[in-house]
Amino acid sequence: MLRTLISAFLVIVASLAVVGLTLSASTGRRAELRFVNSTEPKTLDPHLITGEPEGRIAEAIFEGLTRLDAQSLEPVPGVAESWEITPDGKTYTFHIRTGARWSDGHPLTAQDFTYAWRRLQDPSLGAEYAYIMQMVRYSEAFNTHEAQASALEGPIQNALHELGHSSPGAVPDKAVRDFVSKQHLDAVLKGTPNAALRAFLLRGPGELTQGELGVLATELAREGQRRRALYQEAKLHFGIDGGVYAKDEHTLIVELVAPTPYFLALTAFYPAYPVPRWAIEKQTGRNWFLPANIVSNGAFRLAEWSVGSRIHLERSDTYWGRSDVKLRSADALPLENQTTGLNLYLTGEVDWLPQNTYPAELAQDLRKRPDFFIGPALIVYYYRINVTRKPFDDVRVRKALNLAVDRDVITREVLGVGQQSAFRLVPPGIRGYTPPDTGISYDVAQAQKLLADAGFPGGRGFPKFGILYNTLETHKKIAEVIADQLRRNLNIDVSAYNQEWQSYQQSTRSLDYDLSRAAWVGDYEDPNTFLDLFTTNGGNNQTGWSNLVYDRLLEAAGNVEEFVAAPAFILQHASRAPELERLADAVRLNKEAPSRLKVMAELRLELLGEAERILVHDEFPILPVYFYVIGDMVKPKVKGFYTKLRGSDGATRSNLRDLHPLRSIYIDEHPSPRDGAP
Amino acid sequence: MIELLALLFGLATLAATAWCPPRLTRVLGSLLFALMVGVVSRFAFGVHVALLAAALAAVLALRFFPPLVLRRVVFLVPALVLLIFSTTLLMYRAPGNPFANERATSPQVEAALRAQYGVPKNASAFFGIYMRRLLVEGTLGPSIKVQGRTVEELIAPAFPVSVALGLLALILSVVIGLTLGIFAGLKKNSLADHVSMALALFGVSLPSFVLGAGAMIVFSLWLGWLPVAGWGSLRHLVMPAFALALPNAAIIARLARSGMIEVMQQDFVRTARAKGLPESWVIARHAMRGTLIPVVSFLGPAAAAIMTGSFVVEVLFAVPGMGQWFVKGAINRDYSVVLGTAIVYFGMIILFNLLVDLAYSWLDPRVRSSDA
Repeated sequence: MLRTLISAFLVIVASLAVVGLTLSASTGRRAELRFVNSTEPKTLDPHLITGEPEGRIAEAIFEGLTRLDAQSLEPVPGVAESWEITPDGKTYTFHIRTGARWSDGHPLTAQDFTYAWRRLQDPSLGAEYAYIMQMVRYSEAFNTHEAQASALEGPIQNALHELGHSSPGAVPDKAVRDFVSKQHLDAVLKGTPNAALRAFLLRGPGELTQGELGVLATELAREGQRRRALYQEAKLHFGIDGGVYAKDEHTLIVELVAPTPYFLALTAFYPAYPVPRWAIEKQTGRNWFLPANIVSNGAFRLAEWSVGSRIHLERSDTYWGRSDVKLRSADALPLENQTTGLNLYLTGEVDWLPQNTYPAELAQDLRKRPDFFIGPALIVYYYRINVTRKPFDDVRVRKALNLAVDRDVITREVLGVGQQSAFRLVPPGIRGYTPPDTGISYDVAQAQKLLADAGFPGGRGFPKFGILYNTLETHKKIAEVIADQLRRNLNIDVSAYNQEWQSYQQSTRSLDYDLSRAAWVGDYEDPNTFLDLFTTNGGNNQTGWSNLVYDRLLEAAGNVEEFVAAPAFILQHASRAPELERLADAVRLNKEAPSRLKVMAELRLELLGEAERILVHDEFPILPVYFYVIGDMVKPKVKGFYTKLRGSDGATRSNLRDLHPLRSIYIDEHPSPRDGAP
Repeated sequence: MIELLALLFGLATLAATAWCPPRLTRVLGSLLFALMVGVVSRFAFGVHVALLAAALAAVLALRFFPPLVLRRVVFLVPALVLLIFSTTLLMYRAPGNPFANERATSPQVEAALRAQYGVPKNASAFFGIYMRRLLVEGTLGPSIKVQGRTVEELIAPAFPVSVALGLLALILSVVIGLTLGIFAGLKKNSLADHVSMALALFGVSLPSFVLGAGAMIVFSLWLGWLPVAGWGSLRHLVMPAFALALPNAAIIARLARSGMIEVMQQDFVRTARAKGLPESWVIARHAMRGTLIPVVSFLGPAAAAIMTGSFVVEVLFAVPGMGQWFVKGAINRDYSVVLGTAIVYFGMIILFNLLVDLAYSWLDPRVRSSDA
């Protein structure tokens, strides 16, 4: 008996010793600022980052040529102390400051940028955000053309060969269309100057003779050769003496394909950060960004990264602007439970809860607190409509669905923190952009009429269909409300169903759904970041919808000069042709650099407006639901945190992107009672 | 089809190990044990030490190990291979893949990533690569979603956290459960019995996240005694340990109660009483062992589960333990994380079941005699 008791006691003591040892192994000083960072970053390699939790850390430990001012979110000098832009808006000369250093003491040079930007576009890296910098000359060819050439020379030729063999006479229209979509021909041939291929992509329905097939094979092979040659050229020049290159250690030249009004904001974005070549090449795995290996150049350095516990940042003593940085250290906590996040905030353990880190269903109560800040966001919530399925291939049906949904019920009853009903795709608030007319409203009578016109009077004969959403309580509520409204207003049979994230992605990507839930966060403050989604075969289109005029409008917006030179096709199809023509003429006549660029920027937004009009006035491949709001909870002692922005022109507006650079944040332990703007 | 055949073959092999003759068991068991020791010690100490350790282990096993343990080893190794194979098949059957992102990945990029991470499109090919990694390269492979870290680098810091928390919870659940259960069993159908069993029912029915969230509100937000969440001091451990312990304590209480009631009616208890032993001595010395048997058989798998972490409790209390990797691995289709966690869990189950068997022979004289 005594023996048993002693051994039980010993087991308990030993266990407690294990507990104690484990605890003592994990201590760390608490940082000055602690914030909840919704999830563990997947990587801190600036070229491979795609999400917000990663972005918040990368923005603190790296710095681009420019950075965004915390108070205005306008680009201000970062690593580059100044820059010049040529009058045509296509060549930038950045002057790298002599005081810029890496955290290991290496001086930061123009070559660090040429290496980084070339690495971003290197096809073997597979960077998702490579496309965002592809207004830089050579970059697109370097990034995509080799793979396209291989496709054109290999699998596409084989498929074409098979196509010819499968039908001895003329090839039927359906087989040709299947070939085009299966081989992603629109994507592979994107931007081709080859007239025959352009004509082929635009062709109406009809068979293809064996002779035409032969011509097509030749032209595709020729296009493949052309792309390979362009790739070879880009490989030879990009980052070395073309596109982006160093004139000397402190002068970086960037050549753009077309003037890009938001380029200086992009150079502040993580895909454009410099990366340390020597530190990356020393590691074989993708682990150069772990604390033991990382070399960075931002206002903070990565001092500790304990997976599941925290990321600890400390003020860098090699950063050129360290005297401006007041915050000494920051902890980012990867907390996936929103209730826990809120409790930590309420007990004073954390100082900042960004959007999505507290329970959304409590937002209605939380918004009454003085430390809860709410504002519009650059995020849209919408449903995709699968236009490849009947009866959704009929635009009248798609419009009827759009008209039969009362979005106000969702924004008021389901969400209720100030979200706005969406009747368009692009969220409001983007400077200079005038939203186009929309065909979407809440109009049940018209919806019923459209459905009748489409052959389903009173909803009779309309096939049962489903609304797909990824498993989440909010999505479920919204889907149920919309299904219910469609059922009642149109008398059709709809049900909502969910799939977990991976299955959902597979279903939407393979167009295995009728309606599916989606959302998009703007990457930069420009309509292009939303409209880009719906180009033909775009990776995130996922509706099967394709519209030639739409594609051309986006191409034109990406290269306004090309449009001004040959505007006929677009003018023929545009709803506001006279306005576009007037602006195009103004560009043509205006040779004065600054005002010409200004008119071009205006024309560009006008073209994007035309594109959005096609989505929400004519074609309806989507059903917009609502525009998000962002709400942050911040303790009064956190200063330098701007929810309202003041631009250089003096105008105030909302912080649409919820960006709060740590560089400007500081802690005031004895804050004066509420002084309005924090 | 071939995969199905391979699976059946694996199952047959596994079943065949039961009829393995004693001499073969001794030789095969020692060799496999040496292999295991070699692979495991390679993770910790490198190739040279591992070879030495394996040789030593082979000799030790051959000379000194009881047949019970060696039979376990002969079963264990094919079972582990089968586990890896069938898990691989299941993972590949699930929709999606580790390289699927919100933004579409181009086929070229996906091919490059698949090559880099050693995740071919074919499940059997992946199985081959994985076994090679495990046996030849001595690694659990890179995580695909947590870039820059191998699976062992993810598990190494998280496992001790889960073990520490689990141990504490285990002790709590045994102490609370046994006390309640024995008390209730002795005073069958009294008020005390009903109260204890009501408490136990409460513990079983309340999921730990409700319990945890409730405790958080009371002890952190209202009373301010304990920190809400996090890791780093004993105070951080209290709530998660109780949240993990109470449901188990409730089960233990019920098992102990019925065990106690049954044992008290046994002949040997009557004999002990007839000898004139005091009641407390009868309970502690004679009835206790019998009561513990059902509890111990429950504790084996329960300890393995509790020490490999609970996702719910870890997320709620922001504990950097291992439970998260079971769930995240599966959600992200991070194949090597799924396999790594499965192997660790498997190892814990085997270890604790062995301990349970050893405990049986100590607790129950009948088991001891049949095994000799």
